[in-house]
Amino acid sequence: MRKLTIAATLLAGSAITTPAFADGHLRISEEPIELTIQMNHRAYPIYDEEWPVEQVARELTGIHLINDTVGANMRSDENTGRTEALNLMLASGSIPDIVGSSRIRDFVNQFGPEGAFVPLNDLIEEHAPNIAAYYATRPDIEAAVKASDGQMYYIPYLPDGKYGRGYWIRTDWLEALDLEVPQTVEEYENVLRAFKTQDPNGNGLADEVPFFARQWPELIRLVTLWDGRAHGSDTYHDFLIEDGKIDHGYIGEGYRDGIANLARWYEEGLIDAEVFTRGSSARDFLLSENLGGSTHDWFASTSGYNRLSSEIDGFAFEAFLPPASPSGRRIEEHRRILVKPDGWAIGFENEHVVETIKYFDFWFSEEGRRLANFGVEGQQYDMVDGEPIFKQEFLDQGPVNRSLYQVGAQLQGRGYFQDYAYEAQWSNEFALEGIALYDTMPDLLIPDFLGVAFTPEEQAIYDRTWGSIRDYMLERQQGWILGNGDVMEDWDAYIAQLDEMGMQELLVVMQTAYDRQYGG
Amino acid sequence: MSDRNSDVGGIPIEEVVVEASEAVRKDKQTRTPDSTWVRTFDHFRREWQIYAMLLPTIIWFLVFLYKPMYGLQIAFKDYSIFRGAAGSPWIGFEHFETLFNNDQFIRAVKNTITISFYNLLFGFPAPIILALMFNEVLHATYKRTAQTIVYLPHFISSVIIAGIVITAFSPTVGVINTIMGWFGLDPIYFLTQPEWFRPIFVGTGIWQEAGFGSIVFLAAIAGVNPSLYESAVVDGANRWQMMWKITIPSILPTILIMLIIRIGNVMEVSFELVILLYQPATYETADVVNTWVYRQGLQSGQYDLAAAAGLFNAVVAFTLVMTANTLSRRFSRTSLW
Repeated sequence: MRKLTIAATLLAGSAITTPAFADGHLRISEEPIELTIQMNHRAYPIYDEEWPVEQVARELTGIHLINDTVGANMRSDENTGRTEALNLMLASGSIPDIVGSSRIRDFVNQFGPEGAFVPLNDLIEEHAPNIAAYYATRPDIEAAVKASDGQMYYIPYLPDGKYGRGYWIRTDWLEALDLEVPQTVEEYENVLRAFKTQDPNGNGLADEVPFFARQWPELIRLVTLWDGRAHGSDTYHDFLIEDGKIDHGYIGEGYRDGIANLARWYEEGLIDAEVFTRGSSARDFLLSENLGGSTHDWFASTSGYNRLSSEIDGFAFEAFLPPASPSGRRIEEHRRILVKPDGWAIGFENEHVVETIKYFDFWFSEEGRRLANFGVEGQQYDMVDGEPIFKQEFLDQGPVNRSLYQVGAQLQGRGYFQDYAYEAQWSNEFALEGIALYDTMPDLLIPDFLGVAFTPEEQAIYDRTWGSIRDYMLERQQGWILGNGDVMEDWDAYIAQLDEMGMQELLVVMQTAYDRQYGG
Repeated sequence: MSDRNSDVGGIPIEEVVVEASEAVRKDKQTRTPDSTWVRTFDHFRREWQIYAMLLPTIIWFLVFLYKPMYGLQIAFKDYSIFRGAAGSPWIGFEHFETLFNNDQFIRAVKNTITISFYNLLFGFPAPIILALMFNEVLHATYKRTAQTIVYLPHFISSVIIAGIVITAFSPTVGVINTIMGWFGLDPIYFLTQPEWFRPIFVGTGIWQEAGFGSIVFLAAIAGVNPSLYESAVVDGANRWQMMWKITIPSILPTILIMLIIRIGNVMEVSFELVILLYQPATYETADVVNTWVYRQGLQSGQYDLAAAAGLFNAVVAFTLVMTANTLSRRFSRTSLW
């Protein structure tokens, strides 16, 4: 039965493959090899061998992946939803030949050295020229994916492009109130206050919500407007790196001053009163109800709200540069991280390790990378002047990201190198204008903390201290903003309490791990 | 089964009576080990249908309650999912030391006990009072309608309950703050104020469960002998006196049993509702053992630590339920066992 299915899909695959692909130079094995795969993601809970992209990859390489996903779920919460499936898979006692997932790094770096996953350093060197060539140009990223024993255990998903989130404001409101786009934090405050008091939506009520956020940690990010730091990477509340030194934003004095100012803003009503409970629908609700004034959010998705101009007269929600801090510094703390903790790894029971690493390498070849980014030529895109260009009917199908998932492209449970060109083709003019604006300021972005891998002893210290420390920091953070306590008065006691909970010890552990990993 | 006289568990009634009297007679004779075995075998042969009916429950207990106990050992091990429970090294009481050296865990234990105490104080009497009130309602249609309305919240998922609560207590559009606004009160952002968490949580629990919980007590009230009320009426008692002198004393054993079960669950605050309603700003009063375990143990994959906390919970609950049962048996002669 299975053989029949293979034959059928091979036939189907060859029918849609262009002749240029048919010369077989990407073929890994003459005899088709079957490998099992675990792949769980909120947008595609299991691996689907019918994905057009997979059919082409199978035809080109001779490697046939078969879904063997355990614990598939579609939960999107940062931690549990993603690693739960991996933990269930491990608890079930057997590991498929290939394991692809988001948030896989800490998982493979813990269980790889215990023997659950195949170490990849030698395999890459001998059998994966494309991956090796990439790492030769980016030794920092190679360092970032390694476990504490110096081995790589997974091939990462590597995002492309620079900007993730930016500052957004209702420019039509600015115009209605005869205000300029704010350039400093002081001007920003005045603009938000004007939104609150001068009724820019013109309904006679002071119901405007000057600053709002879909994820409340984005509110905390505003401390960068007072030279503080909040999130050191695209993971909220993460450690940060500055000149080779590990630190945490929530123990800095800029953060303290920032929180004091945010508490003042909150009390004055410049920040959404329900910022901590409104949740992910905040942007949708507040913009479509003509209530929200400004936020900090993704370029691509936020720019899309300008379609509301058909319902709300004059509606314009545009990006503006991060306002300068009192010391005159502008930074955009969020960026597209260089390497995600997502990707795929080889399970220890895999009997075709060499073929598997060659298969991983296929996705870093020119043809493989295009396949992973754009889908199948002739179906999703056409080659125009040597560049892949999405077909118009494909772009018109709805959200492009979702359409790509549905054909098996842009899967972050696969290790591949993203090509930003894919996204530029469907970003709207507001997003592109915003990105162009941010590009005029070359020093806007700061380096991300790419994470560290611990030895078991370091891991034990991290496990013992970090959870409690994070809880305590968040508890105090929200309390100060909501007016339960004054950050200026409480600061010394707060720092002392953190030290008692092991903050200094934790920083030393992080620094040791960092120095080992990045050769500091 | 149509012939009522013929069957008790598949055995003719006369035979059962004969067997029983024989058993009593045999009991008085000197026993030999052999006869005990024979009698046990006979017993199973005769009553096998009853044991067959018991079997699914036994299997359920074995698979879902006894087999997992094997995994409790990971509370004393440096557990790795890959190595498995058997392959991980023993580390003694290290996880328990970690727990009791953690201020947040201690706070979570205190919060759990406090919330449970409020639940007991306000949440336990609520269904009893409700049942007594329903019992006094004479209009049948009105009674049925009211009962259906108070049962309903029990069948709504916690996620939706939490959504309703968050909306109702919202500082801008919430019904509570709107009503407060009519009286000129300033809006309160209830769900971020530590002092408001427990009243809201306990109140939500009562709203959700009091109606459904009253069913047990209504059943107990229905079982009270009507002749007691008839003679009370003859003696000239009013409804209030009948409630205090007849209804409540009659359902007291049920109340005590329910109380013992409730005490056994003191450490089990319905944590999914806590997770849905709490915020870092309210951890101070809202963080209970199970939510702490969820954040520290499961989110960061420390199953061994989570197992230690779970074991601690179980030991406390076991002690409490034993104590409550003993006290109840001593003072009221009502007990679970």
